[in-house]
Amino acid sequence: MSATNIVLGVIGFDCHSVGNKILEAWFTESGFKVTNLGVMVSQEEFIAAAIETDAKAILVSSLYGHGEIDCAGLREKCIEKGLEDLLLYVGGNLVVGKTPFPQVEEKFLKMGYDRVFGPDCSLEKVSEMLKADIAAKAR
Amino acid sequence: MTSNRVICVDIGSTYTKGAIFRLAEDRFVVEARAVTPTTVDYLPDGFFTVVQQLSPGADWHNLTAADAPCPVYFSSSAKGGLKVAVVGLVPEMSLQIARLAAFSAGARICASYPYRLTRSCISRIEKAQPDILLLCGGTDGGNERYVTENAQALAASGFNGTIVYAGNNAAVDRVSDLLADRELVICENLMPDFGRLNIEPVREAIRRVFLDRIVSGKGLDRLVAAFATQPVPTPLAVLNLVRVVGENIEGWQNFALIDMGGATTDFYSFADAYNPDSGTIMKGIVEPKLKRTVEGDLGMRVSAESTFETGEAYLAAVSDFSTEQLAALKNYVMGLTTNTGHLPANAIEKYYDSLLAGACIYHSLMRHAGSIEEVFTAKGRVWAQSGKDLRRVSRIVGTGGYLAAMAREGSAVAIPDRAVLPTEKTPLLPEKFVYLTDNDYILPLLGNLAEKFPRQCALTAVSSLTVTQHYEVKEPCQREFIKA
Ligand code: B12
Repeated sequence: MSATNIVLGVIGFDCHSVGNKILEAWFTESGFKVTNLGVMVSQEEFIAAAIETDAKAILVSSLYGHGEIDCAGLREKCIEKGLEDLLLYVGGNLVVGKTPFPQVEEKFLKMGYDRVFGPDCSLEKVSEMLKADIAAKAR
Repeated sequence: MTSNRVICVDIGSTYTKGAIFRLAEDRFVVEARAVTPTTVDYLPDGFFTVVQQLSPGADWHNLTAADAPCPVYFSSSAKGGLKVAVVGLVPEMSLQIARLAAFSAGARICASYPYRLTRSCISRIEKAQPDILLLCGGTDGGNERYVTENAQALAASGFNGTIVYAGNNAAVDRVSDLLADRELVICENLMPDFGRLNIEPVREAIRRVFLDRIVSGKGLDRLVAAFATQPVPTPLAVLNLVRVVGENIEGWQNFALIDMGGATTDFYSFADAYNPDSGTIMKGIVEPKLKRTVEGDLGMRVSAESTFETGEAYLAAVSDFSTEQLAALKNYVMGLTTNTGHLPANAIEKYYDSLLAGACIYHSLMRHAGSIEEVFTAKGRVWAQSGKDLRRVSRIVGTGGYLAAMAREGSAVAIPDRAVLPTEKTPLLPEKFVYLTDNDYILPLLGNLAEKFPRQCALTAVSSLTVTQHYEVKEPCQREFIKA
C-alpha cells in the first residue's frame, strides 16, 4: 500500500512559514505523503493539488488572524469540484484576539471543517485522529 | 573536399526550401539556396529537386549516405505538421504542463480538455483526427480516477491515432489494459509531484511517434533510409535553434522569437520564467525557461479571417479606422482566406498586412506572457504572478516570410509594450528590447544543425540577423521591485 496523500499549506496572504515546515516534517515522518504548498496559498491551489494528488485530507494553517475570512468557502468549493469526501483540518492562530477556543472551533466546524486546532495542539494526537478519520471515510 | 559542407532542407506545407552551408571556422556560410513547391503526394520528389540544385555534381536520386558528397539534414511540417490533442486533469496544472510539453515537441494542439472527457469532447477528437493524443493527469500515486475513466472513453471511441500516456504511474496497468488494442506509448509522468515539471520524457516520446508514424506514409521513410538522418518537425528545429542561441551566445539569455506564417503564429521564448527576488509571489507552475506556444487562429493568410475575428478590437484600437475603413479591411481579409498566395499590391494593402501582423503579434505575445495582479493584504500590497515573466526579454526576433518581407521593405511592425485592450491583470511584456529580423529567412534551415553543431549554429543565427527597430517602454512596469 502506498502512503496516503495529504495537502498542506498556509492559507491567504499569510507568510508565517515556521509552523508549516514543522508540520511537513511531522506528517512525513508519520507516514503520509505530504504535498506542501508552503505559504500564501489560495483556496484554488489547495483544491488543484488535492485533485491531482488524490489527497485524502487538506490541512490548512492560518496564523496571522485573517483565518475566518480566508477559510470560508473552501468546503463549498471542494464540493463543487467533486471532493465531497475530502477531510478538511484547520489550525494555527485562527482569529484575532482572545476569543475562547470552543467558540472558534464552533465557527470553523460550521464552515465545514472536520477538525479545528489551536496553536498548542499535540501533533501526535492530530496524526492519530487523521489516520482514524481517513480509515473511517474509506469504510 | 566537401566534408565541411552540409545541406539542410525544410519540407514545408507549400514550399520545400534548402541551403548548402560551408563551415568556416566558427560559423556556417550559405553557399547556395534553392526552393521548389512541395510535392504533396510524394515528398521526396521536391526534396530531390532542391538537393540536386544545391549540389549538382552528384546523382542524388541514387545515392546512399555513405557516398553522398555531404551530410543532409531535414525538417518537415508538410500536411499541417504534427497534430496533437491534449487531455489533462486540472486546467492550470497537468493540462497546462501537457500543453507546454506538446508545443515543445513541435506539435500543433488541435484540442485540449481538462477533467473528464464527455461524449462531445470525444466526438470533437474523432473529427479532428490528431496524430497523437497526449493523456495525462494525477501526480504519481495521486488521482487515478480521471485518467482511467478517460482511457475507457478513448477505448470506446473511434479515435485511432497514437496515445501517449504521461499521467499517474500508479494507473499505468489499468490504462494499458483499457487501451490494449490501441497504439499506446507509456512514458514518465509529466507532473510526478504536484507542481514539478518533467517534460523531457514526453517530448522524446512524441518525437519518436513522429518518426515512426508521421514520417512513414508520406515518403519520408525513403529519405531516412537513404541519408541515415532523422527528420524533425520544423517547429522543433526552430525550438532547438532558440535553445542553442540562449545557451551559447553572450547577451542572449533573455530573448523571444516570433515565427509568423500564413496559418499559425509560433511564439518562442528563452528567459527565466520567474524571478524569486522580484517581490512577486508565484501562482501555479513555474514555466520552463524554453517555451513555445502556437496560435492556430493567428496567421496572415489561411487564418486571416480568424485573426481578424480575434483581433477586431485590437485592430479598431490601433488603426483609428472608421467603420467603413474597418469593413474594407475585413473585405481584404476575406479575400486572403481564399487567395492564400496573395501579396500586397499597393500601399493600403501593405498597411493592411502590417495591421494583421500586429494583431498576430499582439495576441500571440499576450497569450505567451504571464501577468501580475495586485493583491492587498494585512502586510500591504503584494504582487501575484501567474505564467511567464517576459519583462527582461531584451531581443525579439521576427522570422517567417511575412515578417522578413516587411523588414526588407522597411514597414514597421507593432510590438506591444502594454495591453492595448483592457485586461484584468497586468501582462508581463518585454520592456526594452531590440527587434531583429531574419531577412533571408534562414533560421528554420539552420535549426536543423542545432543538435550537431550547437555553437556554430547559434553564432551563424545571431550574426545573420538584421537590427530593425528599437523599442523602449515609457513607463515600465517596475512593480517587481516592491518587496513583499
Ligand atoms: C515569527 C513571527 C512572524 C514573522 C514570520 C516569519 C516567518 N517566515 O515565518 C514575521 C515577522 C514575518 C511576522 C509577520 C506578521 N505577524 Co507574526 N508572528 C511571529 C511569531 C512571533 C512566531 C510564529 C512562529 O513561527 N511560531 C512557531 C511555529 C512553530 O508555531 P505556529 O506558527 O503557531 O505553528 C504551529 C501551530 O500553530 C500548529 N499549527 C499551525 N497550523 C496548523 C494547522 C493544523 C491543521 C494543525 C493541526 C496545527 C497547526 O502547528 C504548528 C507547528 O507546531 C508569532 C507569535 C507566536 N509566538 O506565535 C507572531 C504572530 C503569529 N504574528 C502575528 C501578526 C499579527 C503578524 C503580522 C500581521 C504583523 C503585522 N501587522 O505586520 C504579520 C503578518 C504577515 C503575513 N502576511 O503573514 C500575530 C497573529 C495574531 C492573531 N492571529 O491573532 C502573532 C500571534 C503575534 C501576536 N501575538 O500578535 N510574524
